Amino acid sequence: MGWGWLLTFFIGTDVGGTFTDLWVAAGDGETRVFKTPTSADVLGGVLDALKLASDAYGLSFDEFCAGIERFGHGTTVGLNALLTGNAAKTAILTTRGFGDTLEIGRLRRQTSDLNEVEYTDAYLRNRVPPLVSRDLVIEIDERIDANGKVIVPLNEKQARAALRRLKGRGVDAVAICTLWSTVNPVHEKRLRELVRAELPLAFVSASHEISPHVGEYARMSTTAANAALGPLAGRYLARLEETLRKAGMKVPVLMMTCAGGVLPTKVLSDRPAFALFSGPAAGVMGSQAIGAQIGLKNLLTTDIGGTSFDVGVVADGKAIMRSEIAVAGADIRVHSIDVDSIGAGGGSIATVQFGELRVGPRSAGANPGPACYGRGGTEPTATDADLVLGVLDPGNFLGGRMRLDIEAARRAIADLIAKPLGLGIAEAAWGIREVLDNRMADLLRRMTVERGYDPRDFALLANGGAGPSHAWVLSQELGLDGFIVPAAATAQSAFGTGNSDLGFTAEASAYARIRPGAAPADDQLARLSAALRHVSAEVRRNLERALTVTEGRIRIERLLAIRYRGQTHSLDVPLSSDNFDLAAFDAAVARFETDYETLFGRGAAFAKAGYELLAVRAVGTGALPPPALATKGDEIRLVKTRPVIFRDPKAPVDTAIYTTTFPRADATVEGPAIIEFPGQSVVVPPNARAVADRFGNLHVRVSS
Amino acid sequence: MSSERSASAVTFEVLRNRLVAITEEMRIALQSVSGSPTVTEASDFFTGLFLPDGSVASMGFQVSFQAPVCSAVIRHIKGKPELKVADGDMFVGNDPFIGALHQNDVQMLGPIYAGDEIIAWAGVQAHQTDVGGMDFASWCPKAKDVYQEGFRIPCVKLVDRGAVREDVLEMILTASRLPDQLGLDIRAFIATINVARARIGELVGRYGPAVVSDVMRRMIASSEARMRARLRELPDGEFHASDFLEHDGHTNALYKIDVRLTKRDDKLTLDFSGSSKQAPGFINATRAGLRGGVAGGILPILAYDMQWNQGALSPVDIVAPDGLICTAQFPAPVGAATVEAIWVVCNATTLAINKLLATSDKYRHRVQGITDGCMATFNLGGVNQYGEPFGLHLMDPIAGGAGAYASKDGVDAGGPITSPVSSIADIERNEQVSPLFYLHRRLARDTAGAGRFRGGVSGEVALTLGGIERAYALVMTHGAEVPNTAGLGGGWPGATVRQTMGWGAIKNGRPKAKAKFEAFGPKPGLMTMTNRDLFAVSWQGGGGWGDPLDRDPAAVAKDVATGAVSPDAARKIYGVVLEANRIDANATDRLRQKLRQQRVGKFAKSPARFTKAAPFAALSDALFLARDARGTHVVTRAGYILATGHTRWRKGAVAATMTKVPAEHRIALHARLAMTAFYCPATGTLLAVDVHERGTKPPDDIVLDLASVDALVGARAAVKAAAE
Repeated sequence: MGWGWLLTFFIGTDVGGTFTDLWVAAGDGETRVFKTPTSADVLGGVLDALKLASDAYGLSFDEFCAGIERFGHGTTVGLNALLTGNAAKTAILTTRGFGDTLEIGRLRRQTSDLNEVEYTDAYLRNRVPPLVSRDLVIEIDERIDANGKVIVPLNEKQARAALRRLKGRGVDAVAICTLWSTVNPVHEKRLRELVRAELPLAFVSASHEISPHVGEYARMSTTAANAALGPLAGRYLARLEETLRKAGMKVPVLMMTCAGGVLPTKVLSDRPAFALFSGPAAGVMGSQAIGAQIGLKNLLTTDIGGTSFDVGVVADGKAIMRSEIAVAGADIRVHSIDVDSIGAGGGSIATVQFGELRVGPRSAGANPGPACYGRGGTEPTATDADLVLGVLDPGNFLGGRMRLDIEAARRAIADLIAKPLGLGIAEAAWGIREVLDNRMADLLRRMTVERGYDPRDFALLANGGAGPSHAWVLSQELGLDGFIVPAAATAQSAFGTGNSDLGFTAEASAYARIRPGAAPADDQLARLSAALRHVSAEVRRNLERALTVTEGRIRIERLLAIRYRGQTHSLDVPLSSDNFDLAAFDAAVARFETDYETLFGRGAAFAKAGYELLAVRAVGTGALPPPALATKGDEIRLVKTRPVIFRDPKAPVDTAIYTTTFPRADATVEGPAIIEFPGQSVVVPPNARAVADRFGNLHVRVSS
Repeated sequence: MSSERSASAVTFEVLRNRLVAITEEMRIALQSVSGSPTVTEASDFFTGLFLPDGSVASMGFQVSFQAPVCSAVIRHIKGKPELKVADGDMFVGNDPFIGALHQNDVQMLGPIYAGDEIIAWAGVQAHQTDVGGMDFASWCPKAKDVYQEGFRIPCVKLVDRGAVREDVLEMILTASRLPDQLGLDIRAFIATINVARARIGELVGRYGPAVVSDVMRRMIASSEARMRARLRELPDGEFHASDFLEHDGHTNALYKIDVRLTKRDDKLTLDFSGSSKQAPGFINATRAGLRGGVAGGILPILAYDMQWNQGALSPVDIVAPDGLICTAQFPAPVGAATVEAIWVVCNATTLAINKLLATSDKYRHRVQGITDGCMATFNLGGVNQYGEPFGLHLMDPIAGGAGAYASKDGVDAGGPITSPVSSIADIERNEQVSPLFYLHRRLARDTAGAGRFRGGVSGEVALTLGGIERAYALVMTHGAEVPNTAGLGGGWPGATVRQTMGWGAIKNGRPKAKAKFEAFGPKPGLMTMTNRDLFAVSWQGGGGWGDPLDRDPAAVAKDVATGAVSPDAARKIYGVVLEANRIDANATDRLRQKLRQQRVGKFAKSPARFTKAAPFAALSDALFLARDARGTHVVTRAGYILATGHTRWRKGAVAATMTKVPAEHRIALHARLAMTAFYCPATGTLLAVDVHERGTKPPDDIVLDLASVDALVGARAAVKAAAE
């Protein structure tokens, strides 16, 4: 019997494809991470993780739930449903003449799932069918033009008849996307009323609300995805919330959104697409929270798992965003944290063809997995290389839960890499690492240099099982003097869901074309101001629904999407208020040109082209009280030494091996060393030193 | 700086990835800054890194036609010492008689120095909507020589040691009807080359110039080794393909691109000598265009899994005398080369290569009928809804159907395979920035080339003007009377282009109930269009694979349900009988048997014409090689012997020539064209459908070196035996 019943808990949960992670900060200042296998119904895995945690605190499940102060949650349930075609059966209503929009998919749909080495192979195209099959896409007689003028009035009779024919076809959701609904939503609104009348049980999404962007293909994809997820996500979240409430939890479930803030399920239930990429977003939010703790505003957040290397960038305290993501064979247009990814991870397979070494993007996955897993994999992977190099301990992998077969790893590397290249085994293993680590560094460069940033102005955060063992090479490649391993590096997304403020983003298209040297006309300014007021109000309304105390908690940032006339790529610039007057236009244009030159080089700006103003966006945050800080910690214990290869395969270095679960503040380890945590190994290279801060984050710095 | 001379295997791979990333970064810089929809959406551009001798080492995922193009300009610069190349220089050019595919493709090149030496060149090129000339968009159907077309810049220093020569820039922009768009793109070019210089400079600083050069050379060698290895896996022989284009801007004459492909060991020779003489109009290509069209045929089909660069093209020799439609001599007009002669060179090359691949058990599954046999042009110019001069080059027509594979259907509205990342803009984007108003953009029924696996159906659009009264429209294509998307293995070509104008067919943005449509020929040319007129066009569907009567009836029923195929075509082409969308299996069997019999009259039965020998190799999935005491035969699935001792099998088949194609195929034939179907005399199975000149016999298109087939079969058997 402990004192757990006196405690309060801040909880973050993240349901990944393999593991469900739970991060807990208890009122006593201790933080812990629990992992359970993800269950097929998702809910079971979450409850298992909560039970593990309650056991650890010596509490009953109900006692534990009653102590929960905040419950953050992220899940790939929606994404997986889309990827596996298990979402709700959905129909689409669209404008007559444009029912093939998803089929044609701007020609992009057919290549949207190809990786960097597959692009040139047309044989691989069109592997993923459209989100909605063509026989469930219904064309309605109606047409609105680019100015919002009704050219063909809505034929309600035809629409009703079509909806009646859907009855009995098992349709659970309806997505409505008509041309130019972002300018004039009158037909979409009326169609929604008709759907509610004819198919009262169906989940309905209207495109002008879910994805208010000009461009019907991505808008339709997004609305279809949202509708297809609606019934599923709604059911899942309702069950989760109800189970926890019955057990005594008094706070709402806060879902992580793609844009990085959390929202209570009641605000999110009609727009599940907003949470489609919650896992990667949560990881970046976790890193951002750590940055806030330790006073760092520029972060490269990296995550290396078995198959992929994911990177997010936080600049000046804000995560870099993107407006569109290709997934499940569709362009999804939801404002999201930009997490870029390449096929590079522990399972990446190394091959030699035509005398050339290639590593990834093909991955051995978990099954058969790397050769050293002993599950029948014969091809060498990055994990096999790490084992041969001495980075991994065959007896202490995943906290000792799995024994690695070092001979199998050596054999695979010797036969398939070392011999054909005429190298020694250690040399070949280091070569695999060098190729892989450099591919990762290339992605980090792409995420920074291409955006006009100098990577040396950033701190690198290493997450995921393999992140902390590769980070020293990545930071050296980028010219950084070190890296940081977050206290919850193996459960960074769960940490992120438990440490994010509320966030809501609203967007509206508002097109204005400004000729070279001209200023916007009064009606253009009025339209933009009205759009700004609309999105700000929408943000405020939704955040107020989510907060119990609103006073001083809500902050709204406004952005304008602008480009040179004729371009397709736009930049977002901040606006200071909802009032878009000439001064605001001048300021926005000045900022645009500065940002543009930062991105594309001096002299690239071209004011002679004129401008197009495209859309406005309000990004709101609602501050939540922060969780208790970690104050306790564990020893970093020296266990043994073993030879490890750092750079020079001919000269292994005797390296101290340490173990810990959560380093105590100011604990220090001198390199060369490897600090083994359950689930990760932090490599501290020679001439570097690792120091823990008071939150349990490990700072590895090369001594100068 | 490192003093290494060559890269280790590991360093090679590290730097190879880096150089690919740099090329990709160049692409992103160009697409971000460019103002041309041809660049931002359709990816009709090129970015690449070149060796000092002009060989391309790394290129982005773009139009493969462009691969060899900048190389010629680099060689041109090297041949002109008076140009005095210095660090920081950039050269601009667009002359098809030097390197460009046509004048619209403006290119820029910048040397990259390491110390005093040029270590590499960065090159960029993009299609510009207007570069002057007698007609808007610089495609001038009435041009009789190149002087009437867009301006030509042989090669001019636009950036001199880092400083833009503003006077020269002004001169270039002044010659265009769309100077702002061109200005934005030239800025994008400068930004792109700057990116390449900065990144390569960092690499040279770290690894040394020798290592970076070594890696670039080895990237080329790597692709060459892979390409040669692939060629060695294929049998030797001669393969023939031809394709046609109609109307030279002046008269509706027919022109042929003829290619004889000889494959020996690890080399390919493409001989275009049988092609038509150069035309008096703008459809010609120069030799630069011929090289581009060949690259467009080779890279996507044979180099799909290797890096696209010079090495993949090194094993290919091109033979073509001067003065052909694909080697037009100065001052022939060549303004529309990319969508005319070059496009058709690519079709013919692609077809010949696929015939070669079809003889390989290893690669047959990825053999593909022709995709996007043309790019029908719809250009619009005038004053837009914002009161600005505008020029629009509609990209929608790339949404033709993709060819069927020997293992699956082609992609509907699949778009070109010569360019991995082409896309078309949203309707809303087009209507927002241009004075267009669409009535539909959809998949066009019955346009797919028929076959056991069908081609992809093509897209189609109908549009009028939005927000303005009138504009100039340029309408032109080939492929309205030429089925360019050939099928293979008995598959049919896809539908030909249909382009019509409903004059006065629109009232207040809505189509009138009764309206007259003028059916256009291939090149109606420049015309005035108003917001009361309706332009409607459907493009070519993809070529099919195999006999349509062998198609799974369930797949046909599904095509009828989704609207890809009409019930009428299901019955006439596929022999599938549907009752209320359900297959009548017995009636289908009976109909198919009847159709097969109609093809050949009476099924051949003479036992002497058959062999029981098991096939040891194949030319498609309907034609096989088998050997018995009488020799080596080409046989059909039924064991019927078409030829003995050689693979010229057509003589042994039943041939049916037509000058008018049954309506359900939606194929219009030019007055000088015919089509011939070849059937198995024993079963009526369709073996090949050839498009050829009227009054001629289609040539035998696969002449295998039987000894090389034996060698390959033997080698495969040995490998198999060793494995067991």
